[in-house]
Amino acid sequence: MIVGGRVLVGVAGLVLWQLAQWVLGAEWISGPVDVLQRMAEITVNGQLVRHTAATLMEAAFGFVLGGGAGILLPFALRLSPRLTAALDPFFAAALGVPKLALAPLLILWFGIGIFSKVVFVAAVVFFFLFFNTLAGVRSMEPRLAAAVRVFGGREWTVTREIAWHTALPYVFAGLKVALPRAISAAVVGEFIASDRGLGYYINNARAMADTVGLFTGVAVVTLLVLAIDAALERLQARSLAWRPLAREIGV
Amino acid sequence: MSGAAPLLEVRGLGKRFEARAGRAEAFWAIRDLSFSVADREFLTIVGPSGSGKSTLLNLIAQIDSTTEGEVRFRDQLIASPTAGTLRPGWDRQFGYVTQDDTLLPWRTLLENVLFPLRVQNRLSTDMRERAAGLLHAVGLEGFERHYPHELSGGMRKRAALIRTLVYDPPVILMDEPFGALDAQTRTQLQEDLLRLWNLGRKTIVFVTHDIAEAIALGDRTLVFTRAPAHVHSEHAIPLARPRDVASIYTVDGFADLHAAIRKELA
Repeated sequence: MIVGGRVLVGVAGLVLWQLAQWVLGAEWISGPVDVLQRMAEITVNGQLVRHTAATLMEAAFGFVLGGGAGILLPFALRLSPRLTAALDPFFAAALGVPKLALAPLLILWFGIGIFSKVVFVAAVVFFFLFFNTLAGVRSMEPRLAAAVRVFGGREWTVTREIAWHTALPYVFAGLKVALPRAISAAVVGEFIASDRGLGYYINNARAMADTVGLFTGVAVVTLLVLAIDAALERLQARSLAWRPLAREIGV
Repeated sequence: MSGAAPLLEVRGLGKRFEARAGRAEAFWAIRDLSFSVADREFLTIVGPSGSGKSTLLNLIAQIDSTTEGEVRFRDQLIASPTAGTLRPGWDRQFGYVTQDDTLLPWRTLLENVLFPLRVQNRLSTDMRERAAGLLHAVGLEGFERHYPHELSGGMRKRAALIRTLVYDPPVILMDEPFGALDAQTRTQLQEDLLRLWNLGRKTIVFVTHDIAEAIALGDRTLVFTRAPAHVHSEHAIPLARPRDVASIYTVDGFADLHAAIRKELA
């Protein structure tokens, strides 16, 4: 039933999109037929793979760098509540800096190659994961930690068993927001200065007044985000299978 | 070390909680508390709610630090204001079954029961068999793969109990472990506990506010005062073992003991 409904809505959306092209004109809107045709072209000539790979690589490296730090740092800070309290206002201040406005500066510092985008993605992703994970680690139940210590568990076991499992739902909530932004950040970085990537492709299409290219680029980015999100959902359902909520709503 | 020395000794123990936001004054939960526990004794402690019974167990288990006095175990000083860093469980010598079970919600029943052994690096085929035997003994067979939230309150209590029994600490501290259960489940669990205790007698310090429970289970019971808690009186419980918890009310001597303790708590 649900699947049938989804197909219906999807088809209706595609039809409306195509209608929009006919009504408003091809120079403003490119419908799904043209976009699919362009996708086939750039798949054959290798552009699709080249640009997608570049964007994915920037997003992935940046994500591992920023996300890794954002997830691990709260666990380290757990060992020193006083240091955490001391650093709190600085984290808040750093959060307040609009990361998008930093992109030109990062390009000035790190050049137009992959490195500037990696740093940009890392800066964007870090904060989503850091604050979520920090909240998760802080919601740990002291009585569970005490039980583990009575069994003879050391700090490492408390971290690995209690803090980690308590924080995991928060980490996933952070990933859910951060992963699409990692792709967006890479694309935005490419808008500003690059010689490859989906952002470059889109920006190049804009410069050439290539409406089909613009729509195709946006469509590819959207599909990429959807695919990553679907993979994340599966990972989450597996990792959090113990939770009554996740099971009952069939995530 | 003489054979007559008590296994566990509490001397002049005191615990003060400092003032903090929402509680203007510092207060003593326990003060001048002294008693001892013999090896393989089942000691029960009754006292009014909020009389520092849980605090006492936290001090013995070394989850919380003492303000004055000391705790000795096998004639060794293990807790005092100057004893230094806390060592929860004192190197697996003390098991602790708390009021709310502390089962890990992300682990199945079997993983929970095996968890202490895993932490202690003692997970062997023998130990797995021991765990299976305990699961069988308390009727949890067939629920091994269930998560805690899928079990009833009574089943969770049983799981928490055998999770501590499985690693065999010489002393088990129990803090009103059957408090939140219906009467029938409670009696069943009390019987389970006595049966398991009979199989391999350990030293148990069992805290409760239920006089009948204190008499039904213990070799001896201590009556605590209101906070700051100290020992008001002590009663040997001369009822024969094995005991039938469900009909303990009808056993000779139960009624007198119950009335006496009740009067002291009033």
